[in-house]
Amino acid sequence: MEALAFNVSNGFLEGIVRGYKGALLNQSNYHNLTQCENLEDFRLQLSSTDYGNFLANEPLPLSTATIADKATEKLVSEFNFIRTNATEPLATFMDYITYAYMIDNVVLLTLGTLHERDTHELLDRCHPLGVFDTMPALCVATNVEELYHSVLVETPLAPYFKDCLSAQDLDDLNIEIIRNSLYKAYLEDFHKFCQTLPAPTSEVMSRILAFEADRRTLNITINSFGTELSKDQRARLFPTIGRLYPEGNNALARAEDIESVVAAVDHISEYRAFFDKSGAASNQNGGAANGTGDEGSSLEDEFFKHDVELNKHSFLQQFQFGVFYSFVKLKEQEVRNLTWIAECIAQDAKDRINDYIA
Amino acid sequence: MSSEYPSFFTSEEMSLVQIYIPSETAHSTISELAELGVVQIKDLNPSVSSFQRPFTPRLRRLAEAARRLRLFEGQIKSLSPPLGIPPLSAIPPFPTVGPRAQNAYDELEERLKEHEKKLSDINRSFEELSKRRGELEEKSSVLKETAGFFNEAEHRHTEIRTSFDDGDGTQPLLEHAAEYGTLPGDSGLSGFDLEFVSGTIERTRMPTFERILWRILRGNLYMNYAEIEEPFVDATSGKETVKDVFIIFAHGAELLGKIRKVSESMGATLYTIDSSQDKRADALREVSTRLEDTDQVLNNINQTRRVELSKIAENLEAWKDAIRREEEVYKTMNLLSYDQGRKTLVAEAWCPTRDLTNIQLGLRRAMETAGTSVPAILSELRTHQTPPTYFQTNKVTEPFQAMMDAYGIPTYQEISAGTIAVVTFPFLYGLMFSDTFHGFLVLLTGAALIFYEKKLSQKKLDEMLGMLFFGRYNLLLMGIFSMYAGFMYNDFASKSVTIWQSGWEWPEDANGTVAAESTGKVYPFGLDPAWNGAVNSLQFTNSLKMKLAIVIGVLHMTFGICLQVPNHIRFKQRISIYVEFIPQILFLWSIFGYLIVLIIAKWATDWSKSATGPPGLLNLLIGIFLSPGTVDPATQMYPGQAFVQVTLLLIAVACVPVHLLGKPYFLYREHQRVVGQGYRGLTGQENGHPTSDVDEDEEDGVGQAVADEGHEEHPWDFADIMVHQVIHTIEFCLGCISNTASYLRLWALSLAHSQLSDVLWTMTIEKAFLFEGGIVVQSVFIFFMFAMWLALTVFILCCMEGLGSFLHAVRLHWVEFNSKFAMCTGIAFQPLSFAFEDDDADA
Repeated sequence: MEALAFNVSNGFLEGIVRGYKGALLNQSNYHNLTQCENLEDFRLQLSSTDYGNFLANEPLPLSTATIADKATEKLVSEFNFIRTNATEPLATFMDYITYAYMIDNVVLLTLGTLHERDTHELLDRCHPLGVFDTMPALCVATNVEELYHSVLVETPLAPYFKDCLSAQDLDDLNIEIIRNSLYKAYLEDFHKFCQTLPAPTSEVMSRILAFEADRRTLNITINSFGTELSKDQRARLFPTIGRLYPEGNNALARAEDIESVVAAVDHISEYRAFFDKSGAASNQNGGAANGTGDEGSSLEDEFFKHDVELNKHSFLQQFQFGVFYSFVKLKEQEVRNLTWIAECIAQDAKDRINDYIA
Repeated sequence: MSSEYPSFFTSEEMSLVQIYIPSETAHSTISELAELGVVQIKDLNPSVSSFQRPFTPRLRRLAEAARRLRLFEGQIKSLSPPLGIPPLSAIPPFPTVGPRAQNAYDELEERLKEHEKKLSDINRSFEELSKRRGELEEKSSVLKETAGFFNEAEHRHTEIRTSFDDGDGTQPLLEHAAEYGTLPGDSGLSGFDLEFVSGTIERTRMPTFERILWRILRGNLYMNYAEIEEPFVDATSGKETVKDVFIIFAHGAELLGKIRKVSESMGATLYTIDSSQDKRADALREVSTRLEDTDQVLNNINQTRRVELSKIAENLEAWKDAIRREEEVYKTMNLLSYDQGRKTLVAEAWCPTRDLTNIQLGLRRAMETAGTSVPAILSELRTHQTPPTYFQTNKVTEPFQAMMDAYGIPTYQEISAGTIAVVTFPFLYGLMFSDTFHGFLVLLTGAALIFYEKKLSQKKLDEMLGMLFFGRYNLLLMGIFSMYAGFMYNDFASKSVTIWQSGWEWPEDANGTVAAESTGKVYPFGLDPAWNGAVNSLQFTNSLKMKLAIVIGVLHMTFGICLQVPNHIRFKQRISIYVEFIPQILFLWSIFGYLIVLIIAKWATDWSKSATGPPGLLNLLIGIFLSPGTVDPATQMYPGQAFVQVTLLLIAVACVPVHLLGKPYFLYREHQRVVGQGYRGLTGQENGHPTSDVDEDEEDGVGQAVADEGHEEHPWDFADIMVHQVIHTIEFCLGCISNTASYLRLWALSLAHSQLSDVLWTMTIEKAFLFEGGIVVQSVFIFFMFAMWLALTVFILCCMEGLGSFLHAVRLHWVEFNSKFAMCTGIAFQPLSFAFEDDDADA
């Protein structure tokens, strides 16, 4: 029945977003991009894609930052176009997408202020999708309560903050905890919201969000090894959705080393595959015992790949909002890829140029 | 092989040529070819990605130069008062070819670079100064506005005090500021005094700013703000921003620090001012003197900038044109295959066969301009590739050809309806737009556009007028044919024109219903004017127009089917004439051909003297199918009618299986013959389609190069052919019926048109004519009603109805006519040329 009325209010936007998706770079575009000798070639190559001459009026020499900025600008303008045209409940759905970027911006600003960076520089680095009115005021906050009362109380993030108020001082660890508990609350809320939407949307989104939650859970666990984060605190940061919840989360809460993490996710074959692959990768790089840093990074890549895969799948189903979420994520990944390739070209590090995720 | 005359009905004969160009003449050769505009260069390196091609670095430099030019143009255009850019025709041309061209381009590049540097220097100082000026302005408005606050505070300090006391007892009192009068700004010299922060902020951010401050300081502030009336203009982007002045009183260094931090991160600019009135006055004076100084300097800089830009503007168009030409040339050179030895470039190109000599001459000219003695060598290739479709058009045939191409680009050397449409299109249009007066208006429009052709073609027209201008000959012909049809239907803005004597006479004593009596004469041309106003006039004209529409429709379709024949002959499918063309013609004519014969017979018979009554032709036609072999004796038209009709029906039915199975059968036999002789496709795929004649041609071309790539071999698939033929048959048989009905629009639109103009006449001007109320009032009434009538005639009857008739005429050509013969699998010929689209300047 949902399919019957979907197009009335959202058909146009779905068409637009599918058009945008069709304009994403494909394998052969990436292949051509990696062949480029310098950034001018890069610009020439991109001009034949949907990016068109988005760099045409930039004076030479180009910098990687300009490319990333311009590409993000395109993403943002596309997002805003959809957002402005959206009706309820799609509009709320689109707003939810921006909350994740808001959280990132909040954390970035607070961390930056803590380390006494220049505010304007920080503001420039914020993701434009997560900008909100009162954001600049974040830089005056010195403790959590102030942060909440002066700035966040009127943002949509306010309800997510209630778990964080226990922490008093703003230091690196606490900010990290705030980030993760915000994220946990956000994911749970977003998930709950998606469940109120009719069937195809809720299915597709719960698949994607479940993975997102699991990824965070695993990351938190792995990154907490060797820090002063207690197991109790750690367990509180795990989102209560996802395929690992609850027993996997419980096992992870008790985990002390990477082996027990692997054991905890053993019953989900996809996740096990990540560890197998990343383990194999780090083996090639010189032994499994090389520490978690190396393993972490390739594990991250596996996560990204799976994420991209999930997002691509969401385009297979029609009459649902998942495509909007997925488009933003895919486009973001594309911008990351472009930046990576451009960076590799600029720094002449051709050997790693193929580490993009398409 | 090559004919000197343009081929009227088919596309130009094309040749594939190979041109060996010595690298030193390459540039002038390509630009010469582009001037000629009759060559389509093929991409010989499709596998090489764009940035690996040999001339890409050069192109990149040109792109950079083009960017600079765009930058200059943008700045010139944003100057106020505006600076005129002289058009291309008014300035000396840039040497784009010849031995010195290369140098000229390099010089140009250098020059542009210099200009850019100079400009950016000027702009930078300009920007800096205007920024400073903006700051000064802001400061002066801060000073002015805050003066207001302070004054207010002095007058109303008691009030303010009360309000502060209500809120928070620990608040410092504002009156101190007034009493002491020497409050330091924000230097924090004295811990006791009330301190404040003042500055400017964008108006849109004001509410947020206020809210944040309120929350951060928990209400421990007194804030006041005022709007600055004049907007601030950003020097580089020209954007206007409106700002507010604010002043915030708060207490304590920490709070002030916070305020400052928030204001800065919100994008506000802070200005230090003094709370004492004298000092503020001093500061204001100082600021205004500095403002004056800055203004002067700014003015000077602006002058320099203007001079610099006007220098650029002089040649801008020439440079732009030159850069675009150069880009086109190098883009084309990237398509050529570049020899390893770097001595020659090889181009493969399509060109019309009869332009070969022209191209040869052009190559020689290019050699001369390049100043070398090695000419480019042109040789013709034989090929199996399908050449692109190119129609040589002139200004009359161009719009018609464009209209037909919009349906589909005709296959190479296929008969195209373009030239034919020059007559058929306005004719069908005229039948629908049938009104002498309205046709005359259209004719005038077309004639005016043609009369001012030279003037108009130089101007840049807007979309509407441009389209009309493009189809000016179309309009002229449409007008002529509409007038013709108008005479035929005797329609002049819904009135009849009596040129000759009418064949009918009205009785003298007119009471009740009267019947006109024939005088025995026949009106020489068109409809008798006596019909106008008769009670049964609509009945009569409808019957006439409807029948005429069918007659013309069937003839038009027959013509379309006949156009297959030259196609079949040209593409060596003689068999199709017997199994497609003949069955189709028989099918159409045994049903609808018979119908039009009956129509004419019915017209020609004097039914008042005939023994039988007139038959209803529609019922008769239906009767042929539903009850074959029976004819109502009361309306029988001729003896043996039943037999003839059955025979025709049988012929029509017999045509269907012939059309359906004939072609597949012959193709199958041909295939069997080829296979029987032992020929097989080398790849294991059977290759049996009849190309044997072409293959033989190839052999006598010994010694000539043969470009054979792209000659695709289709596997022989009987099922495919069969399915295709089934679709074709169904489409044709059903199409005959629906298309014939479709031609009824010739009647329907004509009816609508005449009725509409009739209504318009009676509703407006006739009312005025019949009005009785004194000569003056009636004159005024007529005057206004005439204006209204004319305006509505032009807009509704000529523009709207004209557009409607146009669309229907297009449809009749595309669907009913073209579907009978056109294959339309061609590729349009896109010659290399310097004629640029105007709108790419916007990109």
